[in-house]
Amino acid sequence: MTRYLNIAVILALIGSAVYAYTIKYQTAFRAEQIAKTKLEIKAERDLAAMLRADWAYLTRPERVQELADRYLELEPLAPDRLMLAKQLPERAPHSDAIGDKIEMLGLGVASTPPADPASAPTTPKANAKAAGH
Amino acid sequence: MTTMDAGPATSAPSLVAPKGLGARLRAFIGRVFSTSLLSSGPRIRLVALFFFALYGTIAGRLIYLGFTPEAPSVRKAVAAAPARPDLLDRNGEILATDVKTMSVYAEPRRLVDKDEATELLTAALPEVNAKELRDRLASRKGFVWVKREVSAQQRDEVFHLGLPGVGLIAENKRIYPNGPLGAHVLGFANVDNAGIAGVEKYVDSQGLGDLSGAGFSLTQADLQPITLSLDLKATHALRDELAKGVEHFKAKAGAAAIMDVNTGEMIAMASLPDYDPNTPPDVKDQNLINRVNVGVYEMGSTFKALTIAMALDSGKVNLNSHFDAKSALTFGRFKIHDYHAQNRSLSVPEVFTYSSNVGTARMALGQGVERHKAFLRKMGQLTRLRTELPESAEPIVPKNWGELNTMTIAFGHGLAVAPLQAMMAVGALMNGGYLITPTFLKRSEEEAMKDAVQVVKPETSEAMRYLMRLNAEKGTATKVDVPGYFVGGKTGTAEKVINGHYAKDRLFTTFFAVMPADKPKYLFMTIMDEPQGLPETHGFATAAWNSGEVTGKIIKRVGPLLGVVPRATPPVLPFPILAKLGYALANTPAPPGGGGH
Repeated sequence: MTRYLNIAVILALIGSAVYAYTIKYQTAFRAEQIAKTKLEIKAERDLAAMLRADWAYLTRPERVQELADRYLELEPLAPDRLMLAKQLPERAPHSDAIGDKIEMLGLGVASTPPADPASAPTTPKANAKAAGH
Repeated sequence: MTTMDAGPATSAPSLVAPKGLGARLRAFIGRVFSTSLLSSGPRIRLVALFFFALYGTIAGRLIYLGFTPEAPSVRKAVAAAPARPDLLDRNGEILATDVKTMSVYAEPRRLVDKDEATELLTAALPEVNAKELRDRLASRKGFVWVKREVSAQQRDEVFHLGLPGVGLIAENKRIYPNGPLGAHVLGFANVDNAGIAGVEKYVDSQGLGDLSGAGFSLTQADLQPITLSLDLKATHALRDELAKGVEHFKAKAGAAAIMDVNTGEMIAMASLPDYDPNTPPDVKDQNLINRVNVGVYEMGSTFKALTIAMALDSGKVNLNSHFDAKSALTFGRFKIHDYHAQNRSLSVPEVFTYSSNVGTARMALGQGVERHKAFLRKMGQLTRLRTELPESAEPIVPKNWGELNTMTIAFGHGLAVAPLQAMMAVGALMNGGYLITPTFLKRSEEEAMKDAVQVVKPETSEAMRYLMRLNAEKGTATKVDVPGYFVGGKTGTAEKVINGHYAKDRLFTTFFAVMPADKPKYLFMTIMDEPQGLPETHGFATAAWNSGEVTGKIIKRVGPLLGVVPRATPPVLPFPILAKLGYALANTPAPPGGGGH
């Protein structure tokens, strides 16, 4: 009886020792990982700061202006080109000049059913198509 | 070892005493190494004591070492350039930031062969002077710099030299990506990353310098970026237009600034000639000073705005009052002339739009010397203006301020102030009467209003805005009347004092403009030092032709950048208080043309 108990105790001892060491090594491993990640974060931060500085340097207004003057045909934004959306004129009511004319001539609405999109000459594309026929 | 077997008898000293020296020695050794049970007890105790003492000493030493802090290594003891907070513009664009660089150092005491080290290091770092380096390495110091801020390639080379006693430290280097933009506001930091001028110095004075001095090594992550009031894009546009203007009019120098009149924030500022803070200049170079807040100048006719505001605010004068400007004003042997002489009695708006020296001088005389002085003191024109920028200048105030001084100061001669100071006062005349100390840090209107002092009545402020607007419609400031922005403006031309006399051909021109005049938001200022007359200005070098021209261009360019919405039609009732007071005329737009320049 005592012998089994001893064996059990020894096994438990070995088990707990193995477990403790596993934990210990895992901890060391994780600590190393944390330290490594911290270093990486620091390196990334430094790099990000460097890139931000680089970006700020490359997009400095002085340089952008020079490049825009050389390669773009844009003009400086002048106050008379600015407007609020509500200052824009309302969209004109939709008018169908040809349709109106047909109606005025009394050539019944029935002959051109409005449901047929091909018959409504509103877009240039449709016009071109009609001209082609 | 036979004596050992002699048993306990040998331990009795009396028995062995008469023997010879050799025998006594042998007996002594025998006793020492005796394994007799009788004497082993105390010996074991002795040995135990010895080991206790030994291990006790080791344990004690370990505890002692555990408690004493690690002696600082040489690397940590030196002041490697500390991190500084980023400086951002009001929209979050970077104005100044830190990047990491490597610096090479040496510990002369640990160097094995100084000559060899010098040779190898100068081969890797060709910029380093060999003789100087040898002297430095020969010193008995614990630490010397070999070279600050080396390139990545040089860093690798030095690393691969593998010299004992030579090492690399990561340092922070201050970078100003926008070069000279806002340089006078930012100031700069030296190689040790300590602020030397401008906001950089201000940041240090706010505790950063103390922290890093006390050995706290702050990292970039610990430091909150500092947001300035400057707008990077507006600053660029302002500087660009100013530079063009200074070149075009062949001025010796120029400066321009934009202030938010409701918060006192400086939106943009430039002073030419300027410098690139990445390559710090000679701080003592007088030509590079910030002309907006370090130079003091006689502001010329822009001061008339202050005089008229004083007169209107006193209640003795209203917009319909007339002042005699029939002829030059004589005082003793001095005579005050008008530049645009009308030779008749002028109303207050006419005094302003014709920029009449005689009219304003009479107006100031009507108030008296003491009230004039008190008013200017209230407007902050007689004391040094202090902002976040460590650089500032004391205004030059006449020692014996008599009636003549009041008369000349009324039209901006005889009192020299910093242009920023004048901006603060004009801003107060525009924004409803609140004197707000200008700031270079971002702040809200509520924060600004906390310390604001009401210096003139709201109706006086509105009258001044009306006068400024009138001046842009038909007075001397028509150059800034950008359509849609309802701008108001005032010119100022002062003759410079050369050898104690006013020189007619050496002018200092100023221009103030407010936008929009009905709901003031931005105050523009441009100053130029000795601009020249050009054929297209008909040879004139007065403010309207140069500073006014530049201000107009700045407004046109900066307005859209600052998001000011132009109005297709002028505001219906721009000056409601004046309308209530019975000046209906103020709210009807003036017919174009009229006044001279």
